[in-house]
Amino acid sequence: MRRAYLGLIRKEFIQVWRDPKMLGIIFAMPVVQLLLLGYAVNVDVKNITLDVYDFDRSRTSRELVSAMKAGDYFLPTEEAFVREATPVWDLDARFKDGSAEMALIISNGFSSGLARGDSVTVGVLADGADANSARTGLGYCAQIVNRYSRRVTGVSPPVEIRHRFLYNPEAESVNYMVPGIVATLLMMVTVMLTSMAIVRERETGTLEQLMVTPIKVHTLLLGKLTTFAILGLFEATLALTIGVLWFGIPFVGSPLLLFALAGLFLLTTLGMGMFFSTITSTQQQAMFLAWFFAIFAILTSGFFTPISNMPPLIQRITYLNPMRYFMSIIRGIMMKGAGLVDLLPEIGALIVFGAVIFSFSMIRFHKRVG
Amino acid sequence: MHRIRFIVRKEILHILRDVRSLIIVIAMPIMMTFLYGYAINLDIENVTISIVDFDHSRESRDLTGSFYNSPHFSRPKVPVDPLDPESILRSARSSAILYIKPGFGQALGNGEEHTLGMTIDGSDAILAAAVQSYSNVVLRDFLLERVPHGVPVPGIMISPRVFYNPDLKSAHFFVPGLVAILMMMISALLTSITIAKEKETGTMEQLLTAPVRPSEILVGKLLPYILIALLDGILVLVFAKVVFGVPFVGAPLLLLGFGLVYVAAALSIGILISSLVATQQVAMMIALLTTMLPSVMLSGFIFAVKNMPVPLQAVSYLIPARYFVAIIRGIMLKGAGADVLAVHGLGLVVLMASLLLVAGRRFKTRVD
Repeated sequence: MRRAYLGLIRKEFIQVWRDPKMLGIIFAMPVVQLLLLGYAVNVDVKNITLDVYDFDRSRTSRELVSAMKAGDYFLPTEEAFVREATPVWDLDARFKDGSAEMALIISNGFSSGLARGDSVTVGVLADGADANSARTGLGYCAQIVNRYSRRVTGVSPPVEIRHRFLYNPEAESVNYMVPGIVATLLMMVTVMLTSMAIVRERETGTLEQLMVTPIKVHTLLLGKLTTFAILGLFEATLALTIGVLWFGIPFVGSPLLLFALAGLFLLTTLGMGMFFSTITSTQQQAMFLAWFFAIFAILTSGFFTPISNMPPLIQRITYLNPMRYFMSIIRGIMMKGAGLVDLLPEIGALIVFGAVIFSFSMIRFHKRVG
Repeated sequence: MHRIRFIVRKEILHILRDVRSLIIVIAMPIMMTFLYGYAINLDIENVTISIVDFDHSRESRDLTGSFYNSPHFSRPKVPVDPLDPESILRSARSSAILYIKPGFGQALGNGEEHTLGMTIDGSDAILAAAVQSYSNVVLRDFLLERVPHGVPVPGIMISPRVFYNPDLKSAHFFVPGLVAILMMMISALLTSITIAKEKETGTMEQLLTAPVRPSEILVGKLLPYILIALLDGILVLVFAKVVFGVPFVGAPLLLLGFGLVYVAAALSIGILISSLVATQQVAMMIALLTTMLPSVMLSGFIFAVKNMPVPLQAVSYLIPARYFVAIIRGIMLKGAGADVLAVHGLGLVVLMASLLLVAGRRFKTRVD
């Protein structure tokens, strides 16, 4: 039994080894994903092209404009200063061909109003087609105008909040994304490879050949699953190493705890992969189903946007997504040094989820084979 | 031409026979539209915040009320542990803790200066920045409410106006890009897999011995997938329009024209991949790595290309989705015409032509 099991794992590894393209992908996947996500996911929106229409032409208005120019948030367009008197509705054309992303309009009476102690208004227009950049740009704009407003009026609020940031004081989004990528890799590799590999043996008929050998069905299955678990953990370790060495992300908590819980998480993903293999009959179907699940799992795991931000119905659905729990676990351990006690609810959920899906799929697999 | 029809018929039969795959190909776009339009909201709301009130005054209770009544913040499910308050951040049950120190109510009554402390879980940099600015807004509104009416507040207000997507709705932002991603996925992935499958099962050789030219096999095999890709794109647009009210301002025919060029580019990538691999599994992994990920990450679908480091920006010029995302957003949301989109259109056409050339050559040499 033990020998058969070890032999099977060897067979699986030889199979992976023999396919240099597959091997290359297994190495390239974490590297490419990390580099793409680590560098592309840049939340610092910089150099927003800004048209300035200054109808006030006063010292105060020019000061506001230079306050906007300071820092590298906004890039006032040269042209805009020349065309100060151009009607504002021309902006539609400027936004359409991409020459400007935002516009600041300072109307007549801006400085005189301020001097009287009134509340004056400046117009800020944004191209909302890229909602992400527009939102950030509006935020920057509000910050700068508020700061300038406080300075020029000399009014500061009597009560202030002093903010302190824990865990990620430099506010590096890479620190937050890399643990998420590791979780994604673990999930995708194990679910996809497991479901496709089992179906493949069935499709090509080699599963039946294996069945007639004296190896028991569950030994066969465990051998396969162990291989993919090892591959998944290897990918995750590779990604973590690159994350720590290349991107310099911190690893505060216990690596041992993370590995143990990654193993627990793999129980759920291998179970899912096995389940998909029992309800499909071709590799293509298995792949589609795994892909369908992967997209759902990634989008509802809190990887890109926090779960608390989702509508209540979706929030309830996320409880059915094992990745949701592992996402909190890996981010908690790596960034915050969370321990076993902090993560108890997540661990409990993974145990229940893993036990149910794993045993259910095993039973289904036996039935299909029988 | 006649022979191509037979290949097309064979391929369509293959597709129709595999009902499960077909269901997923139709269900996937709907699920993605639903999730991106409904679940993924870039506007951060309902951040859980714990409030530790040491002041116990009417004012501190009012401030607590202001925080929880604001749409930005909500109450966490578990109370904060007074002995180890930060454990609630460590276990991610709450995103921030506001400390109201003793003397807050008194200071407010006397008009004295006072400072509140707030500890924010900074692990998610975006969320943390949002918490910081929202908390300032809530506090400002709270203080403004206490100013007697009629007294003018000096200062500069902002009157924002957003073009094309006034409420910055995430569905309007994501759906055009989603069409680009789905069309890429369907075209590149399905083609590479269907050709790899014929190779893996050995039926490709059978097909080649039949009295049809390799180019005819290729065209015949690809036509149904062009149809599926376009169908999926239209499905997403209709679904988005009906459910999320995503507008379509520009010319649909212009979009269709660019869409065909884009699909041709994606199919060329699919052919290229299939010429490199022997099994479906490898084809799928390569397709995932070379089309899906870059199309999602480097096309401007979520993150604007111009904020990326220069090397990544250079890579993005090789990604068809980069051009198509700009085109489809321009047409759908801004009603941009061909003149404005010429630059992106030209980039897409050039890229498509070179991909097609390389793919065609590779397919021929492989077949011989």
